[in-house]
Amino acid sequence: MLCDVCKKNEATIHIKEMHGGETHTSNLCAGCAAEKEKNGELSALGFNLAEMLCNLGKISSVAKPTRESSTEFTAVCPKCGWTLQKVRAFGGRLGCPDCYAAFAPLLSEAIRNVHRGSVHLGKRPQSMPQDGRTALEAELENRRHELDALVKREEYEDAAICRDRINQLKAQLGKCSPGEAGNE
Amino acid sequence: MSNDINRLLANPVSFLADAGPNEDIAISSRIRLARNLAGHRFPVSADSDELHGICEEVAHAAITSGALGCPECFSFDPENMDELDRELLLERRLASRDFLNRSAGTRLLVRSDESSSVMINEEDHLRIQTMVPGLQLESAWRVIDDLDNQLATRLSYAFDDRLGYLTCCPTNVGTGMRASVMLHLPGLVLTGQIAPTIQGINKLNLAVRGIGGEGTDNRGNLFQVSNQSTLGESEAQILERLNTVIGQLVAHEKSARQLLLQRDQFSLLDHVGRSYGTLRHSYKLSSEEAINCLSGVRVGVDLGMFSALDIHTVNELFIGTGAAHLQKSAGRILNAVERDVSRAALCREKLKL
Repeated sequence: MLCDVCKKNEATIHIKEMHGGETHTSNLCAGCAAEKEKNGELSALGFNLAEMLCNLGKISSVAKPTRESSTEFTAVCPKCGWTLQKVRAFGGRLGCPDCYAAFAPLLSEAIRNVHRGSVHLGKRPQSMPQDGRTALEAELENRRHELDALVKREEYEDAAICRDRINQLKAQLGKCSPGEAGNE
Repeated sequence: MSNDINRLLANPVSFLADAGPNEDIAISSRIRLARNLAGHRFPVSADSDELHGICEEVAHAAITSGALGCPECFSFDPENMDELDRELLLERRLASRDFLNRSAGTRLLVRSDESSSVMINEEDHLRIQTMVPGLQLESAWRVIDDLDNQLATRLSYAFDDRLGYLTCCPTNVGTGMRASVMLHLPGLVLTGQIAPTIQGINKLNLAVRGIGGEGTDNRGNLFQVSNQSTLGESEAQILERLNTVIGQLVAHEKSARQLLLQRDQFSLLDHVGRSYGTLRHSYKLSSEEAINCLSGVRVGVDLGMFSALDIHTVNELFIGTGAAHLQKSAGRILNAVERDVSRAALCREKLKL
């Protein structure tokens, strides 16, 4: 089944809404669901899915929908068939590497809450050469989140270090043409 | 395999028996890396055939790459081992309880000196581990980084440009790295500073656990401090953060011991003396009493009260007094009373001055 929004990718997330006895189903691919989540459209459905997953990841305390909700969320990994119910049953664990893409809208917020950033900055397999521009852009985004958090917590010394790093990254990105490989 | 277990039992446990930096307070440093093979389901969802296939693929990679000194490494199949042998692996910190409870397609490969190992099909396809004595996370990292690279020449890991190494639980995604240091902190416990110290460390996004796996477990005054976040920092940044905090903890522990010596010297000496007396002259010792008294004697060794006693002898008793070790040494299953008698006999023998 194709995604209702982009009509290109396979839909892996299926959302059923009931309004006045009528059922409306949305079938979305991971990318379009992520976009909707970013715009707050998924959170408006009655409970914060990412927060729920985060609670699952943090060891199995399952957050119940905050109000009586008739919204049913189902995501299925096209590769291994893992479902949200299974994620819940296995304490936040996923079925296969492809689940990260299938459950992306749920995972992105949860991962940001659990970790100190949302982008990998460590080693990589030697057989997988690094796309320098992607890595720089990823870190820049990560540092912007970090700066916001530091300013909110009034940790100004760390915020200054973070701001310097952001400026350094912007300068590096300015020198690096699209697709060009480079080191962080 | 039973031969391998007996060879293992005869080995001194290198991370306890060898000297390491700051070993008076930091007993050992451990790093674990979680890795998975691309194109396969994680163990939690894979069927028995897939698990056995993964197991063979990883074991073959270890043998052909020479990782862990294979084929001269130890190889254990937990599903075909008896309960006692499995407990022995747990006590030596080579395997986790979760790993031993799994039913199919698991294997444990261990370098002959036990410094590094790989659990195949624990929560992830590979859980690579390196342990070294004392506080030396950088040195442990160099060893495990090499081992990981060696295995990666034969295996295709599940890796994403933005998320890094993909793991079964999103709490490990990114570096897939958990680094931990086992610390002996009797000074902080005796001066009542341990609870606020643990709270402070938790705020730094690091975890503190007792040897039983719980933060509230003070047995033996032994605590394990580890990183919680695995994404958003490089391995070097995580290790540096951990190292800085542990350096401060070591300094606090030293100050606490000085404070005890200045404020109430005889109470501290009495604590050490009674601990030694219990271990040296008892005929029945429970596991908990043994571990708490060993902690007391360890303080005495650090303070120079036992010139003829080596700190590594005390370290090795932390594991040697475990139920599985006592029973393997006896060559038979022992009931609870027999274990207490056997534990006391071992301590009397090893702690002779």
